[in-house]
Amino acid sequence: MWRRSASFILDNQQRRKDVASSSKPESISLSPPQLSSMADAFQNPNSSNPKNSAYYQTRAAHHGVVTSDWLAQAQAAVGRPPDDQASSEPEVPAAAAAASEPGRPFCVIDEFNNWRKQPDLAEAVAAIRALATVIRSSEATTMMELEIELKKASDSLKSWDTTSISLTAGCDLFTRYVTRTSALEYEDFNSAKSRLIERAEKFGEISYKARRIIAMVSQDFIFDGCTILVHGFSRVVLEVLKTAAQSKKLFRVFCTEGRPDRTGLRLSNELAKLDVPVKLLIDSAVAYTMDEVDMVFVGADGVVESGGIINMMGTYQIALVAHSMNKPVYVAAESYKFARLYPLDQKDMAPALRPIDFGVPIPSKVEVERSARDYTPPQYLTLLFTDLGVLTPSVVSDELIQLYL
Amino acid sequence: MPDMQALVNEFLVKLKKRKIEGSQATAKQTAELIRSVISQQRVPYSNQAGALMDAVNAVGEQLIAANPVELAVGNIVRRVLHIIREEYLSLTTAAVAGLNLLSVSDDEDDTEHDDHPVLSAAAVAAAARSTLRPPSLQTLLEDVPDATAIPRTSSSGGDSEGKSKSADKSSRTRKLKHDVIEAVNELIQDISTCHEQIAEQAVEHIHQNEVILTLGSSRTVLEFLCAAKEKKRSFRVFVAEGAPRYQGHLLAKELVSRGLQTTLITDSAVFAMISRVNMVIVGAHAVMANGGVIAPVGLNMVALAAQRHAVPFVVLAGSHKLCPLYPHNPEVLLNELRSPSELLDFGEFSECMDFGSGTGSPLLHVVNPTFDYVPPKLVSLFITDTGGHNPSYMYRLIADYYSADDLVVQRRPATGS
Repeated sequence: MWRRSASFILDNQQRRKDVASSSKPESISLSPPQLSSMADAFQNPNSSNPKNSAYYQTRAAHHGVVTSDWLAQAQAAVGRPPDDQASSEPEVPAAAAAASEPGRPFCVIDEFNNWRKQPDLAEAVAAIRALATVIRSSEATTMMELEIELKKASDSLKSWDTTSISLTAGCDLFTRYVTRTSALEYEDFNSAKSRLIERAEKFGEISYKARRIIAMVSQDFIFDGCTILVHGFSRVVLEVLKTAAQSKKLFRVFCTEGRPDRTGLRLSNELAKLDVPVKLLIDSAVAYTMDEVDMVFVGADGVVESGGIINMMGTYQIALVAHSMNKPVYVAAESYKFARLYPLDQKDMAPALRPIDFGVPIPSKVEVERSARDYTPPQYLTLLFTDLGVLTPSVVSDELIQLYL
Repeated sequence: MPDMQALVNEFLVKLKKRKIEGSQATAKQTAELIRSVISQQRVPYSNQAGALMDAVNAVGEQLIAANPVELAVGNIVRRVLHIIREEYLSLTTAAVAGLNLLSVSDDEDDTEHDDHPVLSAAAVAAAARSTLRPPSLQTLLEDVPDATAIPRTSSSGGDSEGKSKSADKSSRTRKLKHDVIEAVNELIQDISTCHEQIAEQAVEHIHQNEVILTLGSSRTVLEFLCAAKEKKRSFRVFVAEGAPRYQGHLLAKELVSRGLQTTLITDSAVFAMISRVNMVIVGAHAVMANGGVIAPVGLNMVALAAQRHAVPFVVLAGSHKLCPLYPHNPEVLLNELRSPSELLDFGEFSECMDFGSGTGSPLLHVVNPTFDYVPPKLVSLFITDTGGHNPSYMYRLIADYYSADDLVVQRRPATGS
């Protein structure tokens, strides 16, 4: 009797109002599709493209087969002044900039963007490095002042990009750590401050170490002659497969294409370099090949309180198919991705949209589902490999309680 | 100690030849052996816990290698390692609390501990505490040094506080060993009494006029059912015989002698009879960290039948059967193939065994696996000596009984200390 209402009619009216005030037509050009919108998005995702998620834009940039000098050329061709966002210098950009231009106000968001662009750096690490720079350049003299500054910086980071879970989790983790450390024994403020900065910079190493721990922990589950299905490009999963290949295990990998990011292409490139037999599938071919698959490996953008994961669009689908055919689904995620979210269904999360290019012009009346991620409930996941060890999904909420209470 | 080594070797031989039947007996003997190892081990003044753990690791590695399928051995070794860590920690915090008071008064006079980094007592205790916790989100940003290094740094921190503590320390040495041995005695006690503790909970689970199904023979199940009978519950038991050892026959005889109404069926009849059954109660060989069960062969089939007919599948397991490892490919790696003579008499089929198919290998293979793996989603309830639990709760018990650093038991490489 109580069917779902035809709410799409009401939604449409709402959207028509929005569209009238926004500017963006569907992009028609083929390559590179995200160039102009990407440059826009870095200024502020809330201005021109109201809903595009900067997080997924960045990931797309990492996955794109566009090189950085190509980018510089393209920008020169478009006529923009080559701003420092296109540079790929990883060494302490903002500190030098801040030192040389004392008049320019320190912007944690710029700092964060600089760190985030490096393809090998995890999102949370970029956030924590940005916060470390906040500490370094802060003029607070007591712990409380420092904490307040940090909170302000972390709030501005979080509100700048509401769709990135690792960012939120990284900020929360660091703020929590600072609060807890200050309760400990350091009487001297300066030594406490320097210790915090040191810890934050070390966090990058912890992140690498975490990936290695996860790779070691999951080695036993990859046996000789197995077939692994991988979805999305996760650096952790790549590390797992790399370690397995280096210990001379014989296995083959099926990569889903991962439209529209083409993650499968990038991943198959990397795996081919390791001499691992790879097969590319289009996303629709997953159920067709699931018979031959022994296990599914995915990474995670975030792990939520229920033990489910938020990951690239398509993960839920694959988990459903795997579950119905009794294949285990393994998730490799670092522990700092645990977030205090509890989505009840797919629409419960903040929308993270990204432009999708179909290659041909689309009439403006036709809607496109542009969400970049989905939520996979915990009953479809078998095990999570984290740097805290192997966990079943029910352990995640326990861990979160320990951290936040 | 040649004496000790002889004992260890004797036990190793028994394990290799599979002379010890059952996980309870194995667990008890392992615990007793390790207790003797600890009591015979001489501990230096500093780094006592490290020395004890090294000794236990060295023996434990050999024991686990002798029979890797008998998980109870590894469980007990890891339990003892956890006990050593815990006892050391409780001693350290007590000592540090005492030292803290003394050092406050000595501070104005002593100036020679400026060469050591100024770590207050609270920091030392916090560091020691954090190594004992399994790695968690909280400790993510903290620099956690190597686990066995902590006993060294703490005791060297103790060294710098003054020489008057040496008398204190020697009593601490003796105290650690003493505490550890006491705790190991308690462990042995727990292992011996696990059946009674599980059987106490029988009345809550078995109700009047119920029909219970079990397969093969398990002493825990026997005591469980008899305890319910004592409390005047009347119920019936279906016993599946449990080929090829037919231990179900023995269980049926036992139950009848205690006055319970029993029906004996073949393993193949389980699916036919399961719809008449209220509950399935079985024992286990080992319980893995994800809640999966290593059980005698045939129980996976019973679990599937129970799920199909919505019958609760209850597993009884003493806490020495809880293993902190996650199973990958348990049907092969955690299984043991027994002699085919249990299935076939050697005389009857001897002609088939000889003939080859050109390559010379016999045409007839006989496979006799001992264990089955039951995945956690088929188990409704675990009853341990601490109470009834969900399969997804097993990791909590494991976190209580084991430390994360002990998952791989191996002798530490000798470091100059």
